[in-house]
Amino acid sequence: MALAIALNVGWIILNWREVALLVLGLIFFLAIIIGLVLNTTFLIREIRRNEQHDAFINAVTHELKTPIASIRLYLETLKTRDVDEQQRTKFYDNMLADSERLLFTVEQVLRAGRAGHRRRKIANSVIDVPEIVRECLELARTRYGLDENSLSYVEAPEASGAKVSGDIDELRAAFSNLLDNAVKYSDAQISVSVELAAIGEKRVAVRVADKGIGIPNAQLKRIFKRFYRVPGMFMARVKGTGLGLFIVRSVVEKHGGRVFAESRGLGQGSTFTIQLPRVS
Amino acid sequence: MTKNAVLIVEDEKHLADGLRFNLEAERFSVDIAVDAETAEDLLLKQRKPYDVVVVDVMLPGKNGFSLASTLRAAGQFVPILMLTARGEAQDVLRGFAAGADDYLPKPFELAVLIARLKALLRRREWLRTVQAGGKTRQPITAEGKDEPKLIEFDGKTIDFEALELRSGNHTVRLTVMEADLLRYLIRHDGRIVSRRSILEDVWGLREDTDTRAIDNFIVRLRKYIEDEPSQPRHLVTVRGVGYKFISNAKGQRGKSEELRAKS
Repeated sequence: MALAIALNVGWIILNWREVALLVLGLIFFLAIIIGLVLNTTFLIREIRRNEQHDAFINAVTHELKTPIASIRLYLETLKTRDVDEQQRTKFYDNMLADSERLLFTVEQVLRAGRAGHRRRKIANSVIDVPEIVRECLELARTRYGLDENSLSYVEAPEASGAKVSGDIDELRAAFSNLLDNAVKYSDAQISVSVELAAIGEKRVAVRVADKGIGIPNAQLKRIFKRFYRVPGMFMARVKGTGLGLFIVRSVVEKHGGRVFAESRGLGQGSTFTIQLPRVS
Repeated sequence: MTKNAVLIVEDEKHLADGLRFNLEAERFSVDIAVDAETAEDLLLKQRKPYDVVVVDVMLPGKNGFSLASTLRAAGQFVPILMLTARGEAQDVLRGFAAGADDYLPKPFELAVLIARLKALLRRREWLRTVQAGGKTRQPITAEGKDEPKLIEFDGKTIDFEALELRSGNHTVRLTVMEADLLRYLIRHDGRIVSRRSILEDVWGLREDTDTRAIDNFIVRLRKYIEDEPSQPRHLVTVRGVGYKFISNAKGQRGKSEELRAKS
């Protein structure tokens, strides 16, 4: 062993020029390899970002143009054809629903734009959390035609009257987005439960649990990224812009809170929790 | 008078209901499929005899492009009108490449939709008449003169009315768009045609677009007309410009001997 080391050291001393070249060559080679790896990583990331961006543009275009196409079709129909009173009422209802959908998409895109401005200050009013959660629940029940069993609500006594400081419209949008997702990603049999709980004395939590298609473990964090949608046939059946959860996360973080998702995997449902700091 | 049967493949209920109301008012019989799988079941398994299919591109699960490709691959050549939210040239060409016969960007005018459906039905009716051995009126080209029904070159026969390309015992069905492109190239036999002029003259697309989208069509046409598609002799690429159709691939004999038109 000692002999081997002595021979090696001796060789290095005798051939220091070659060794220096060898070391330089190795460093150069490593630099090239690291450069290649970094370049490939950035390239792949850029491609994915472009794909997500494309998918977003497709989805938003569809979400904007489809209700417009529908409204236009009904208007042309009413203008050019004889339509009985019953059909006429139905057409008006469809147009109203389409204009609601259009407005929702526009607001969602504008809200996502605002959410991207990290320094933008939020309004600072005191908000009664149970009140706006119940309000969002009622809206969701009406919008999707659900009863109290399909969309249930439990309020812990400790959380009753919990107040947070912030922007009521933004928080309402965040809660509504979670409820909309829970319904959208449920099976035909919708079963969504909403729970309002206190975490100690300083925080309040809103949990929205569904028994829908679930989320693979690896995707639980990524789903909050802008434009991100879980790939696969399951998700492809549900239309969306990839903005909803991004808005939820941005709003919650601006209010000093956090949001996270839990799921046992595909087909096992999922639970989203928003935690917000209470004010007295 | 029998009603023309139309299948609407559209998952947006309001749009589908509105279309049904209007098409029924135009004396069509209408079925609605809410996704591509249902449409495939109706068209391929149950073999329902629809006269025309209206397909939305953005369907849940399998999209409209895939549906059109599947139908064509399975030998189902019912005319397809595609509804696209994104009406950019690339999307339209993607639809044509998948086997669609016409497209309409959303939001569309009702009168235009109905006119285009009727045009597709007329074309189908001509085709049926031809296949039944009946006589049809000669189609008039955009240039205002009679276009030959049959073109022969290099042992291949293109029947523009039956939308067929025959080579020996082998027959290939052409989509309307493939036939239109082939006709355009043949009309400019021996001359270079740019990708831009193909876009404008064949498909009427005048937007700025990635003109390489045409390449998919060219690849497919080469498979039909070339003995070795990787070594094209008839449909050659002119680098940086476009394509050139050469009926006389050997370059020895006169064009009139090689390319025979029959009307």
